Amino acid sequence: MSFAWPLLKWLWSFALTLFGLALVTFAMTRLSPIDPALQLVGDHASQSTYDAARVQLGLDQPLPIQFLRYIETALSGNLGQSVSTGQPVARDIARTFPATIELATAAVIIGAILGLALGIAAALHQKTWVDTVARIVSLFGYSVPIFWLGLLMLLLFYARLHWAPGPGRADVVFQYTVKPITGFALIDTWMSGKAGAFKDAIAHLALPATVLAFHALASISRLTRAAILTELGQEYVTTARAKGANARRIVFVHILPNVSGTLLTVIALAYASLLEGAVLTETVFAWPGIGRYLTTAMFAGDMPAILGATLVVGASFVLLNALTDLLVTNLEAGRRR
Amino acid sequence: MSTSTRYSRRLLGSVFGLALALGAAAAHAETPNNVLVVAQSIDDAVSFDPAEGFELTTVQSFNNIYQRLVQSNREDGTKIEPALAASWESGSDGKSLTFALADAKFASGNPVRPEDVVFSLTRAVKLNKSPAFILNELGWTADNVDAAVTKVDDKHVKLTWSADVGSGFALSLLTAPIASIVDEQTVAAQAKDNDFGNGWLKTNSAGSGAFAISAYTPHEALVLEANANSSDKPKLESVIIRNVPDVSSRRLLVEQGDADIARGLAADQIDALKDKSGIKVLSVPSARTDYILLNTKANETLGKPAFWEAARYLVDYNGIAKDLLRGQSNVHQAFLPVGFPGALTDTPFKLDVEKAKKVLADAGIKTPFKVEFIVFNDQPFLSIAQSLQSTFAKAGIELDIQPGVASDIYARGRSGKFEMTLRYWIPDYFDPHSNASAFAINRDNSTNTAAKYAGWVIPELTDETLAAVKEQDAAKRVALYQDLQKKIQTSSPFVFMLQGNDQVVLSDKVKNYAQGLNADQVYYDKVEK
Repeated sequence: MSFAWPLLKWLWSFALTLFGLALVTFAMTRLSPIDPALQLVGDHASQSTYDAARVQLGLDQPLPIQFLRYIETALSGNLGQSVSTGQPVARDIARTFPATIELATAAVIIGAILGLALGIAAALHQKTWVDTVARIVSLFGYSVPIFWLGLLMLLLFYARLHWAPGPGRADVVFQYTVKPITGFALIDTWMSGKAGAFKDAIAHLALPATVLAFHALASISRLTRAAILTELGQEYVTTARAKGANARRIVFVHILPNVSGTLLTVIALAYASLLEGAVLTETVFAWPGIGRYLTTAMFAGDMPAILGATLVVGASFVLLNALTDLLVTNLEAGRRR
Repeated sequence: MSTSTRYSRRLLGSVFGLALALGAAAAHAETPNNVLVVAQSIDDAVSFDPAEGFELTTVQSFNNIYQRLVQSNREDGTKIEPALAASWESGSDGKSLTFALADAKFASGNPVRPEDVVFSLTRAVKLNKSPAFILNELGWTADNVDAAVTKVDDKHVKLTWSADVGSGFALSLLTAPIASIVDEQTVAAQAKDNDFGNGWLKTNSAGSGAFAISAYTPHEALVLEANANSSDKPKLESVIIRNVPDVSSRRLLVEQGDADIARGLAADQIDALKDKSGIKVLSVPSARTDYILLNTKANETLGKPAFWEAARYLVDYNGIAKDLLRGQSNVHQAFLPVGFPGALTDTPFKLDVEKAKKVLADAGIKTPFKVEFIVFNDQPFLSIAQSLQSTFAKAGIELDIQPGVASDIYARGRSGKFEMTLRYWIPDYFDPHSNASAFAINRDNSTNTAAKYAGWVIPELTDETLAAVKEQDAAKRVALYQDLQKKIQTSSPFVFMLQGNDQVVLSDKVKNYAQGLNADQVYYDKVEK
């Protein structure tokens, strides 16, 4: 009983968030100057074709009716049919979201490992060249346009050094020989039993994931450094020092468990922003993820696709936040015990 | 050794290790010899149903997947050749054609029958999707098309029409992708809710062309596979058209040999690739024309023919073509592109600011004068718009450039909510009427033409255009279109500036790739590697 009530409360707020998201997105698409019917039929089409497209898209209905119809479709679970791909939106999302999750997950793992290492190194060597390098890397990660960095990495590692494969999720020789089952290239190629395909999938993932990781690394390393430096002035650290603990022991045994909640939160935030904001990286690397799907849908005025993708990204954002809260609460409770 | 040195060594070691791992994993694959890999954007693709698809990506695929009764010659599109029809005969009334079908098979193995022709043409009209207006030119509607397209016997099919047009024009219309013949038995089996199989054909194919769709993933790739039943089997086993939205990435792919063909590269990228070994740049004239559209109803000044005339002298035609577009367009000042019968090739206008100023002053048009200029937020439109802004400013006309997405620019054009815009026109079929009907027809603002968007009511030119389309004598017809072009060239709210030139980057290995003047004339069937 004590568990059911908070869960119900959370579900209610989750539903309200999604409803709010749908309402705002709907209003924004309707305020946009894009005419979905004209986008669909093009400029040469006859008036009767254009009028038929408006009816087909439900644009001849009053706005509240259009919104209610959409909510009705969304509740039924199929999210409607995309105007630009001609496919059910749910199917499009099932195809594109795993690509983004795969990329964002790889990026956040790389970013978290390197970011934590850099943050710890900078804190341990405050005001030395290590700290300066860490801060420059972090500043660079924050300020460099990810699109430009992606192109630069492609030029260097793909075109010049030939260390990495080109844009895309797989080489053409593997792309249509491995059956997509889960939508995750690493899992599907692994399940196919083709070692070459699996290796190819890793190679294609490495470069875009590293580019994105660089962006995540910036916030993670900066926060790690700040959190550790704050803790270094605490009484328990002085006590540990008095007991003869060396710097590494103090950081890894005493400080890191204390700041793990904060670090987990920043990593989760970085992950969430990667899930929704990898658009430019996906464009440069021809990565067919949900970021690109959403952008293309926006330019096409594809209402069902825009709403469906926004809802899914929004829902995953809320779920990720809830999961992080739960983990942080458990971590803190564990530490208190 | 200090702690910091140890850390830095470890960090360097990790980075080096990662780089090695990447290098080891990256199998640098060349494209297979039996597969053609094309890098381009396919984000525009809405439907691969020939009765619906009307975007660049889809129309470029139709000649490879489907056949029509007749087809345009690859080199000279004005010549009409047999395809699924072995021969044809015009009716004595001039408003009918009877086609004798050649022996051909669909990719499914089913033979091509008169029933397939009847099904294909009638479904295209009844579906009434984007390109349906092309067949509507024959007077075909959902109500009368069943009677207009009929089976004569097991080898013959007859088309009749009510519109006042000749059989030559009817044949031109039948070369358009919408007239593609689909396999009735395959498509009808996939029909749902009276959609004539449209839902299924959006992502599948049922044609008799050299290739068939083996896989299509929206925004990812279109894979075509050789059609074993094709009368002229292609040289390659498959063609993979990969979606590479970023042009720089496309350039890298073709440079590295991971793509055999790259489309849509910008002028500076083409320049950089021109002298690169292993790569060749194919330059193909395109039927696309770029023009300025003035809204004569926007205000009193824009309604004055003197303003239209001044505008013609405020375009740096050569500068735009040579310096900005560098080979991707040529100066062209008439509504029919070179390659179409009767196209005017003279270029009477050049940048002449003093003359423009005089024309404006003589007409009492006071400067400075501000004009809203809506433009596609894409290249090369923005660069062209900036050039126009600079030259118009010299005569005291300030162009306020307002970039927008395509559908917004189109919507404002349709509703007349604009002052000046930069547009392009690609013919829908290989006949002068395709362009003439856009620029020279607007009797009373009831038809959907560029002339209507300009608010330019022209009953006399409309009559001339309709007379031209029904003219049976080819020479007389050409003369009529030349006359129409001259009139529109010197006095209309359109300023024709450029004709496109498609630049396609190919690997040296690619042989026999063919591309024609019109947007749909892309052929992969003869390609060898």
